[in-house]
Amino acid sequence: MQSFIGGSIRLGQRHGFYSWSGAHFKANRAYLATNNSSSLIHGSDNSINSSRNHLLQSLGQTRLGSQTKELMLPGCSGGCSMPGLSQLAAMMSTCSSRSMTTAASPTPDSSQSVTDVPPRIKFKRLDKTAKHIMQILDKEAVEEVKAQREIPDIKPGNIVQLRVEVPENKRRVSTIKGIVIARRNAGLNTTFRLRRMVAGVGVESLFPLYSPNIKEIKVLDKKTVRRAKLYYLRDKMNALR
Amino acid sequence: MAASFASKCSRVGRSLLGGLGNNLSGLQSASNEVVGNNVWSQMRTVLKVVDNSGAKKVMCIQALKGKKGARLGDTIVASVKEAMPNGKVKKGKVVYGVVVRAAMQRGRCDGSEVKFDDNAVVLVDKQGQPIGTRVFGPVPHELRNKKHVKILTLAKHIA
Repeated sequence: MQSFIGGSIRLGQRHGFYSWSGAHFKANRAYLATNNSSSLIHGSDNSINSSRNHLLQSLGQTRLGSQTKELMLPGCSGGCSMPGLSQLAAMMSTCSSRSMTTAASPTPDSSQSVTDVPPRIKFKRLDKTAKHIMQILDKEAVEEVKAQREIPDIKPGNIVQLRVEVPENKRRVSTIKGIVIARRNAGLNTTFRLRRMVAGVGVESLFPLYSPNIKEIKVLDKKTVRRAKLYYLRDKMNALR
Repeated sequence: MAASFASKCSRVGRSLLGGLGNNLSGLQSASNEVVGNNVWSQMRTVLKVVDNSGAKKVMCIQALKGKKGARLGDTIVASVKEAMPNGKVKKGKVVYGVVVRAAMQRGRCDGSEVKFDDNAVVLVDKQGQPIGTRVFGPVPHELRNKKHVKILTLAKHIA
């Protein structure tokens, strides 16, 4: 949530807005005022003018502020994140003729140093970004999950062992071992199919790769295969595994 | 789900073949022919019996609950087509059964899907208690929700 707010604020910056009228951001500004006194100044190579620079750095602090302060924020940010974006859209449409004075697009991100997100907002025009917003959100979600758990690269032909927590079987994790026969890339919904022999019967399961139910994935072995979907294995009798 | 839809699109021809293939090749033993994608267990589908009630193969007469057919975990009415000589059920008897393995994938609440290589059924009586005393092969978790707990306890492996 806060990354979204940071993103929307950054979008505003690119258009050279440095005065936020509007009741939505009063809470933000009050917060900024209190934070300014105690803010650390991170080094930044912005070539923009000083007033905007201050705002930039203090906005940088919104993301890196202390945990307790950030907990205060969700109350208002939850409410004002969406209006923020719509307000941005409104502002964009009215002031789209304003020239782009921020020289380099990715360098403002250096002020929000520590955390994450490489400059994902590639376009300076807001409406162009909006076309890719789903892609951007998807990539963000994937990176978030990847940061939490370590998810190895699963390619078809690998023999993989999973530890899955099955919600129906509330008893803990079952280990599932099988060969990956297919992988379908779809952002957060990337799924892969696992084929295994259970008690003499072949079972195929499809798992979302970033599912929180998958506790651990371990690649045991790799087979060299020459295609991406190994459905021909269904006809072949697999060795008991 | 998106995954099954995508795979369905790419194999639409095969699934038609699989539907026909499953029904036509019913009387032969379960050969791994073309695995159709979405094949319901409907009328005239022959299923394997995986308990020790005496029957070997049953043909589905009716899928209770569902216009299109039965899926994993559903109950069907079936007629015994092939039976062992000394068993609790004889050939030609009409019995109820619970589908425990289906070649059609069944989605789970966490987004995963499961699909078996064959269609198998466990014979039950009208109340839902299994007739046999043992169940062979794996059974899925879905039976727990359908309240077929007895079958789950008899099974050696829960897929």
